[in-house]
Amino acid sequence: MKNKKINDLGLSTILGNASDEHSNDKKYVVQSSTFRLTFSFINLYALILMALFFIIKGNLVEGINNNFLETGFSSVLNARAILLLLLLISLNISAYFNYGFKYVCLILLAYMINSAIDNAVLFSGFMHITDRPYFSAFSATRPLFIIALFWVLLIHKDNKKVVKSV
Amino acid sequence: MFENPQLSNFFWFSMSIAYAFCFSALYTYSTVPEYTLELYNNAQINITMKLATVRLVIVATALLAYPIILFRFFKYAKYFTVALTAWAVTIYIDDIFVLSEIIKYPESGLISSIQSLRPILIASLLWMSVELIYHPLRVNLYHEK
Repeated sequence: MKNKKINDLGLSTILGNASDEHSNDKKYVVQSSTFRLTFSFINLYALILMALFFIIKGNLVEGINNNFLETGFSSVLNARAILLLLLLISLNISAYFNYGFKYVCLILLAYMINSAIDNAVLFSGFMHITDRPYFSAFSATRPLFIIALFWVLLIHKDNKKVVKSV
Repeated sequence: MFENPQLSNFFWFSMSIAYAFCFSALYTYSTVPEYTLELYNNAQINITMKLATVRLVIVATALLAYPIILFRFFKYAKYFTVALTAWAVTIYIDDIFVLSEIIKYPESGLISSIQSLRPILIASLLWMSVELIYHPLRVNLYHEK
């Protein structure tokens, strides 16, 4: 009887039936495909945003209003791009080691919401949506990025807690 | 209805410092004399006051929500505190390194003292976050509910 049980377990492991939920031996957590997809979107969005900033900075994209960057907006974007890059690196490191991910995600979320509020308050007066259409598209889709961050924060699975039996 | 968070005295001390700072900031910015704004009536000061007003609304909301979260939903208090700390650090970095050429606070003794005391608020919030994340759970081993 005992041998039969062991054989069943061995067979099910070989056949791949030992799912993540039922495996007690695994020391790492496998994140869901939704998480991986959303996380990839966050990385891609942030990288394209930063690349776009450098394209705008280098005047490689034609804009309608050429004085757009002479309002102090360029220096703000520069500092924000560097900070975003640092936070994105921290987010990826914490996701890789699965340690403190929720906190780093929360920090990035606070940072993104704050920068969105700052931009809306400080630059709404002299920044029109048609000044730099490509950049405006990203500004308009920022809520999507914030929602993705929030979603990732909610669905992230922490490390399994080791429960010692007494 | 309310939970007893069982936190250290230093946590309550840090929380009272943070509250004192926020109330002082609310008082300072809501009582800026009109003539100060008219005297230095330029775009930079106007935009700064606009930004300060938005930030103070968020601060006032957080001041009201924090005790409710701490005593009623203690499980989420650490996330809320970390978010507030991150926001405080972000706006401090923003003001000093990012927006230094764009914003300009009106010349007032109270405002400059509030600005110089911001690192104390950040230190208090950091301590609160650390304690909420790492504080040992005091579980009653002998009496189960």
